[in-house]
Amino acid sequence: MTAAPLLDVQNLEKSYSIGRTGLFSKRSLKVLHDVSFSVAPGEVLGLVGESGSGKSTIGRAILRLIDSQSDVMRFGGQDLNSISTVQMRSLRKEMQIIFQDPYASLNPRKTIRAVLSEALDAHGLHKGAARGPRLIELVTLVGLDPSFLDRRPHEFSGGQRQRIGIARALAVEPSFIVCDEAVSALDVSIQAQILNLLADLRAKTGVSLLFISHDLSVVRYISDRVMVLYLGRVMEVGPADQVHFSPKHPYTAALVSAEPSLHRESRRIRLTGEIPSPLALPSGCIFRSRCPYAQPACAETVPPLQTAGDQHQSACLRTDIL
Amino acid sequence: MMSARNFPKRMLLPSVLLAALIIIPFSAPLITAEDPIKIAVRYRLAAPDLQHWLGRDEFGRDRLARVLHGGQVSLTVAFVATTIAFIIGTFFGLIGAYFRGPSEFITSRLSDIVLCFPPILLALLVVTLFGPGAGTLVAVLSVLYFPTFARITFSEALRVTSLDFVEASRALGTPSRRIVLGTILPNIAGPLSVQYSLTAAAAITIESGLSFLGLGVVPPAPSWGQMIRGARQFMNQDPLGIMIPCAALVLTIYAINFFCDRLRDTLDPKGASGSGMDEVSKPLALADAPAIRDPNVVAVINKLRLETTRFGTPAAVIEDVSLTLRANECTALVGESGSGKSLSSLALMGLLPGAIRQASGTLQLRRKTGEVVDLGFLDARTLENIRGNDIAMIFQEPMTSLNPIHKISDQMIEAIQAHRPMSKSDARAHAIQLLKRVGMNDAERRIDSYPDQMSGGMRQRVMIGMALTCEPRLLIADEPTTALDVTIQAEIIELLQTLRQDQGNGLSLLFITHNLGVVADIADRVAVMYSGQIVEEGPANQILRDPHHPYTRALIESMPSSHEGLHSTDGDRLPAISGTPPLPSARPSGCAFRDRCPIAMPTCAEIRPVLYPSADGERAVRCLRAPEAPAGLMKNHQTEAA
Ligand SMILES: Nc1ncnc2c1ncn2[C@@H]1O[C@H](COP(=O)(O)OP(=O)(O)OP(=O)(O)O)[C@@H](O)[C@H]1O
Ligand code: SF4
Ligand code: SF4
Ligand SMILES: [Mg+2]
Repeated sequence: MTAAPLLDVQNLEKSYSIGRTGLFSKRSLKVLHDVSFSVAPGEVLGLVGESGSGKSTIGRAILRLIDSQSDVMRFGGQDLNSISTVQMRSLRKEMQIIFQDPYASLNPRKTIRAVLSEALDAHGLHKGAARGPRLIELVTLVGLDPSFLDRRPHEFSGGQRQRIGIARALAVEPSFIVCDEAVSALDVSIQAQILNLLADLRAKTGVSLLFISHDLSVVRYISDRVMVLYLGRVMEVGPADQVHFSPKHPYTAALVSAEPSLHRESRRIRLTGEIPSPLALPSGCIFRSRCPYAQPACAETVPPLQTAGDQHQSACLRTDIL
Repeated sequence: MMSARNFPKRMLLPSVLLAALIIIPFSAPLITAEDPIKIAVRYRLAAPDLQHWLGRDEFGRDRLARVLHGGQVSLTVAFVATTIAFIIGTFFGLIGAYFRGPSEFITSRLSDIVLCFPPILLALLVVTLFGPGAGTLVAVLSVLYFPTFARITFSEALRVTSLDFVEASRALGTPSRRIVLGTILPNIAGPLSVQYSLTAAAAITIESGLSFLGLGVVPPAPSWGQMIRGARQFMNQDPLGIMIPCAALVLTIYAINFFCDRLRDTLDPKGASGSGMDEVSKPLALADAPAIRDPNVVAVINKLRLETTRFGTPAAVIEDVSLTLRANECTALVGESGSGKSLSSLALMGLLPGAIRQASGTLQLRRKTGEVVDLGFLDARTLENIRGNDIAMIFQEPMTSLNPIHKISDQMIEAIQAHRPMSKSDARAHAIQLLKRVGMNDAERRIDSYPDQMSGGMRQRVMIGMALTCEPRLLIADEPTTALDVTIQAEIIELLQTLRQDQGNGLSLLFITHNLGVVADIADRVAVMYSGQIVEEGPANQILRDPHHPYTRALIESMPSSHEGLHSTDGDRLPAISGTPPLPSARPSGCAFRDRCPIAMPTCAEIRPVLYPSADGERAVRCLRAPEAPAGLMKNHQTEAA
């Protein structure tokens, strides 16, 4: 992956204001701290972390569905931080999103034809006579029958709806798709079908994915690289198999070992304590309050991401443990 | 929008009724030639006759003409005002909800200010300023009602705006105007139409009220309020006079409400909500089952069959399900969504939804007293007593089962006192003890927190603690860890493990999940369900290591965690099975898994496999090609067919 990155993000931060403390001052809750990463053309970057770690926030910030602050946010050579609204609208064709909940992500009042047409209309694609064939092409691409076009979402199963959501994202031929827990709500046998579909589409169209999931095995299978997030900070990032099979950060190690698996050999690493409230984060290493290896020094400095192998980085002060 | 052909049937009656009520007043000249304001004092309060069907009023004016012409005024004022209020209010609400920021401020503040005024006071103020009359009435009523529309639109639109499909439209770059009008507005049409009906009805009432007070329509012009005002003085002599405008009012309001109710149901894309789905149907037992002998067995489900008539003809949602639940043992029930896992467990609780009927089979339970009961024969009170005392249940999302506005302590104390007579302080002590048992540190302090002050894992611990209140013998856990993070899930599983090993009188755990990894962690025995049937059953380690049913095999194979060597970028694909599980009404003949089974044979379409037990009786498989299936079943059949 030496090509110029398709997406480059440096020091992404996001705060939500939560209530007021005085008449004019607001209390704010910082949910992303200093997140930096890049995605190469055709690459799948996996994003894992527990709920509330900020995975979805990152995806929405990149798509500019929510406001955020960053030093650099470039997509395909364009600076997203200074882009005009008009330019952003045409750039939306390049960046799409697939959602977690196949039931909430489709407008219950629209037929599948209308759902897909909205995508094409938004960018004036395949107008007139070209529309029909394109719609058929799209539903066939995601493995559905063209006769489904004139039905409404409630007539479909979760897996079929998820395919429609994928077809909607693909309709405008994007070069980048955020998959936010795109397979999490599906049953295993359907989940495997959708994962294979995404892998095929990636191979066929060269689309890049930001693949968000809390399921580490799914992320390992589909991603080239994996980034691990804890309370809005990057803990570890590296090639998928390396992060999964030889994690360098105690948090990743704990996550992997907590995964239920059919054949467990290694002992589970027990984390003590609960995830701290985002309003009262520990000083120094954010993972300190649950880390089995924590030392007094961990309370002093925020560990920076350090090289821990080929393309592999980890944010832990102790390099002697894993 | 809606062509005549697919005009929904249930809209017919209300539409006709409403149309009639609107058309009739406006076709007054066709019905009666009488002048509504022509005074004939000679005939005051005359009784109905052939010329004047409803008689005459205190000035001798024809009542029929007055009620019809009055209806014109009342209806026009009400509908024009409501429509203006609707348009203005919806506009502000949508703008506020979609763009947030300053427009949200304007919408909500403006509405708040108007809502602060008592409606009648506001009306009086305006009327005094501008003088009475229909125009003033319209203005007053629109100002009065637009904030309600703004508020409802605002909150509903806020809800819809946060749904994924709106976000998807934004991600596609659809212009804001089109998102607001084409996506958000249709999705809030239901509540808005109900509000429209309520408002129109209220506007008619207020119009009448103001006219009654002499502040609305100016006499001699007729309006229903005016008529009531006039007839009131002669109520004793002539009750008909006051009944006519009142009846007109009531009928109109009823027709509008009726219409809007039906409209809301029709606008719901899923059609009207199913009828009676949430009632609890009483299970009925058809056969006597042999009593449970083994004292270690807590509950036995035998050949359970549950039916629904949702698909027209009765279809079995659960077919031939048998399970034996033993003390200190964990049985896992796995399967995909819709396979019938939850229904099987609800049957044990006597909590089947109303649309589901127990067609055959038995459900037996050994109570703590040692008595064996047949759950199908019990009355509602005994069942209630059994729930919580002998069987307890925990669910996937603890937040929905805990009341957010009460402290944990109050909810636990109430639950304890419901089953055990004890003082409040004893109950509290017991609750703290339970919380400690489920691994909550600092339980004395945290028992006084509210549910939303706890993490999902802690809430699930609270739920488990509450379930243990009466030391049940059977604990049913329906996907209790699905909503939790893996690290928290691991802790909850560990907790359930200890509980089942500890409990003196032997807790049996029925664990429902779709995650085979969790099964490996917790279960002693596992039953795999597919399309309402158990397809494989036996010791968990045996079945997960060496599955005999092609479906169990497929489930294991399609998990990415079963393939640590596979990677999508290397061109590897997961061994997925194609297709989706069939609906209960559309199961294939023969084996229900046939159309997805990779090793199906022609015979599989002809013989409906039963659960074939293994030689040692430890496990059973519902597959004609499994090693357990009687030898020669396939061959005999083929020769038979030949
Ligand atoms: N609109 C909002 N207002 C305030 N806080 C928010 C808002 N949206 C998200 N948050 C907070 O931001 C943090 C990150 O949320 P985010 O949805 O990105 O998490 P996630 O990793 O996607 O979690 P999950 O796995 O549960 O989807 C959380 O603490 C969440 O409570
Ligand atoms: S820096 Fe310290 S507390 Fe943080 S992960 Fe490393 S060892 Fe644990
Ligand atoms: S009976 Fe036939 S179709 Fe059914 S699972 Fe066995 S081999 Fe497959
Ligand atoms: Mg999320």
